[in-house]
Amino acid sequence: MKDTAEQVIDRSAKTVVSFFVASAGLWLLAAALLAYVAAAKLTDPFFLSSCEFLTYGKVKVAQANAFVYGWGGNSIFAATLWILARLSQVEVRGRVMLLFSGVLWNLAISFGLLGILDGHMNAHEMLEMPTVVWPVLFISYAIIAFLALVIHRSRKHNDTIAPQWFILASLIWFPALFLIAWNGLEINPARGTLPSVLSLWFGQSLIWLWLTPMALGAAYYIIPTILGRAIDKYYLAIFGFWCIAALAPWSVVHHLEGGPVPMWIPAIGTVMSIAMIFPIAVASTNFHATAFKDIDKVWNNLPLRFVIFGTISYTLSSYIGVIFSLPDVAKLTQFSIINEFHFNQRVYGFFSMIIFGVVYHMLPHITGKEISKGAKSFHFWTSAFGVLILLLAYLIGGLTHGVLAQQPSLDWSSSVISSVQPYFKITKYAFIILGFSQLVFVINVWKVIFPNPFACCLASSSERKGKTA
Amino acid sequence: MNNIFKFSFGILTTLAFAWLAFVVGANLQYGDLSPEAENLEDDDSREPDAELFPKDMPGLAKQGAEEYLALGCVSCHTQQVRLFTTKDSEGKSIVEGGMDVERGWGKRASMARDYVLQDHVMLGNTRIGPDLANFGMTEKDNDWLHRHLFEPQSLVPDSICPPSPFLYEVSDDPRDGSIAIPSHEDHGDERQKSRYVVPSIRANRIVAYLKALKQDYELPELPFVQAKEEKSDTNATETKGIPDWIRYPVPSSALEDLSSQMSAGKEVYTKIGPGGGGCVTCHQPTGLGLPIAFPPLAGSDWVKGDKERLIKISLFGLTGEIEVNGVKFNGAMPAPGIPLGSLTDQQIADVLTFVRNSWGNSASAVSPSEVSEVRASIKDRAPTQMWTAAELTSHSKPAQ
Repeated sequence: MKDTAEQVIDRSAKTVVSFFVASAGLWLLAAALLAYVAAAKLTDPFFLSSCEFLTYGKVKVAQANAFVYGWGGNSIFAATLWILARLSQVEVRGRVMLLFSGVLWNLAISFGLLGILDGHMNAHEMLEMPTVVWPVLFISYAIIAFLALVIHRSRKHNDTIAPQWFILASLIWFPALFLIAWNGLEINPARGTLPSVLSLWFGQSLIWLWLTPMALGAAYYIIPTILGRAIDKYYLAIFGFWCIAALAPWSVVHHLEGGPVPMWIPAIGTVMSIAMIFPIAVASTNFHATAFKDIDKVWNNLPLRFVIFGTISYTLSSYIGVIFSLPDVAKLTQFSIINEFHFNQRVYGFFSMIIFGVVYHMLPHITGKEISKGAKSFHFWTSAFGVLILLLAYLIGGLTHGVLAQQPSLDWSSSVISSVQPYFKITKYAFIILGFSQLVFVINVWKVIFPNPFACCLASSSERKGKTA
Repeated sequence: MNNIFKFSFGILTTLAFAWLAFVVGANLQYGDLSPEAENLEDDDSREPDAELFPKDMPGLAKQGAEEYLALGCVSCHTQQVRLFTTKDSEGKSIVEGGMDVERGWGKRASMARDYVLQDHVMLGNTRIGPDLANFGMTEKDNDWLHRHLFEPQSLVPDSICPPSPFLYEVSDDPRDGSIAIPSHEDHGDERQKSRYVVPSIRANRIVAYLKALKQDYELPELPFVQAKEEKSDTNATETKGIPDWIRYPVPSSALEDLSSQMSAGKEVYTKIGPGGGGCVTCHQPTGLGLPIAFPPLAGSDWVKGDKERLIKISLFGLTGEIEVNGVKFNGAMPAPGIPLGSLTDQQIADVLTFVRNSWGNSASAVSPSEVSEVRASIKDRAPTQMWTAAELTSHSKPAQ
């Protein structure tokens, strides 16, 4: 029997995508462990306090970097390559180069994180990895992005659709942002607080212009593919896309409200943040109007359930983000742990949940093996529950933190921070739940990618069990 | 949309606009900021010999910035004081949200100019710990800082700041240059006995950096926050742990009064001989007293609490059993001064202000007029009649 065109494409993508998914999973676990250590250190300052490599500040930063570059980067590569290849109907080419760059990317992050833990951190948000690994990160990314663009350029149909716009934009924006930040922070550094403005802009844009479009593009692909129906009000998608392109780079700087920077910067950020309701409404309409026509199917199909959880989370988090960018609210919550709420909401509740769905949809196609429904379901419920607890704790804790911090009569540690302590405890438990959930995900994924070692392990262990019994 | 080059051009253009504004635009506006005099003449020129601010940090402090960065302190500590102002009907700007200043984190908002000489600007975005932009203004001495760096919980029991024991050499006995760490009971057995630490060079760098963090000068673009006219009664709003002078924005003259009171008070505290108080002989330079014999002043509610009680003790002395920081002492303290009881109102005010704001204590200053009021109220008391703890606790209002 001759293979269908899809099967040929899937086979061409198998090695590369499996590599990226497998390494993304390992980074996810590393980030989960670091997240737990950081949360535990907030509840007990003496936890691992004698170890200089694991101060709270270093662990926190390493966790964010492992999460965004390790898990985010690898999973973006996997999803980008597969979705672009499928949409272009061409095979993935340059596999050796892709694998080579993938290894480089992961090595660079590993050295970067070790550098952070060893005390060579930079003062730039989301670019804390030592400057020496930046060129490696950039080159490996450039090779992968180039080969992804080659796939797109050799596509069979000239017309492009929404998932391609978003994914390509994410692919191109990251190196542009990276170069801008590199130039402004290291090559031609400005003085005073200007690098802080730039690094804050970079750190936030990374989420808005790299992770967000990727996840939106994946949702635009997965929802119609699985449901077998066109996106409702698809003509709005192009408007939503250009709104994000035009507004998002401006909207992220409202975090500087009242800070020692030019006053128009946070002001412009606030205005643009409010304008972001348009693209959010577009994406939300597109996804949810389509999904809710066939809600039974969404519920019963786990990859789709993950994706829809992510899109709902996107809508909610973005609207909440708009509220928190209003100057009066921003003054209150600016320096509180509400920042953790925003980060985890976007990177976990939205981006990661969609990527989980993509991976669960993609792997059976490329490996030909099914992942057991129970395991996926367990992963979904623990993730959904864990992230909900985590976000609620950060939201309520953040509001408490922000409001109490505005009362000069309250002593800092014995009143303000003590009142936030219970929420730190809750986040610690939430990170344990999420850690288990992510472990299940990684086992699910590794089992289908590397079926043999697991099979023989299981066989030998069951043999041993049989013998002892 | 179908041509990848046009598409890339489009999405990079939108990004380029933001880059032009935030990077190029902001740089054109602020990029040539340089140190400036505190006040400018009407034509924006400065006096020829005016002192310029901000000043460059000492070399040790610059190295400290590297250590501060490497340890990730910026994850919990911001270095930016915010101040929100609105214009009233006459166009005069009034402060509406000065909680950072009221908390004592600075005397004005931080401005871009404050940071132009720093190699690593660490504004930070989360305050799990207090803001440190003006930490150098808090008059904490090096020993306090080292104790806090080694183990914050020894000074601030509720602190969740992680200890940094790896910056210190720890021993059970005092050594040359070692600093005593107060024992505390909440955090494990090994912390109940006294320990002594010798700071490493890295710890000294960090301390130098923290002490160098201050925006204690005015800038032409922004003067200090002026005292509010209806400054409220300090006693009514006095709050544990935050000295009045720093909680309420005060003109710099009041700040000078305080620092002169602190230095005069230190002299009274340490001087043994005529004109001095000789307090140091029993309460020790560390303010920790000696176990069993002499109660500590550091962290003591007797010191940080009610001023009247404290003034009474300073005038007549104290005898009998007294409980300080949960430990009972039984001894006698004569009225300080050599000869006994000879300190003036000013000296008592100075030394009390000093002990209330040293070794981690921070409470409101004591003024000479407060001392003379108390002295007048008990003028019939026999000069040799020392107070007892019970008498003071029942007579005076409870410690705030």
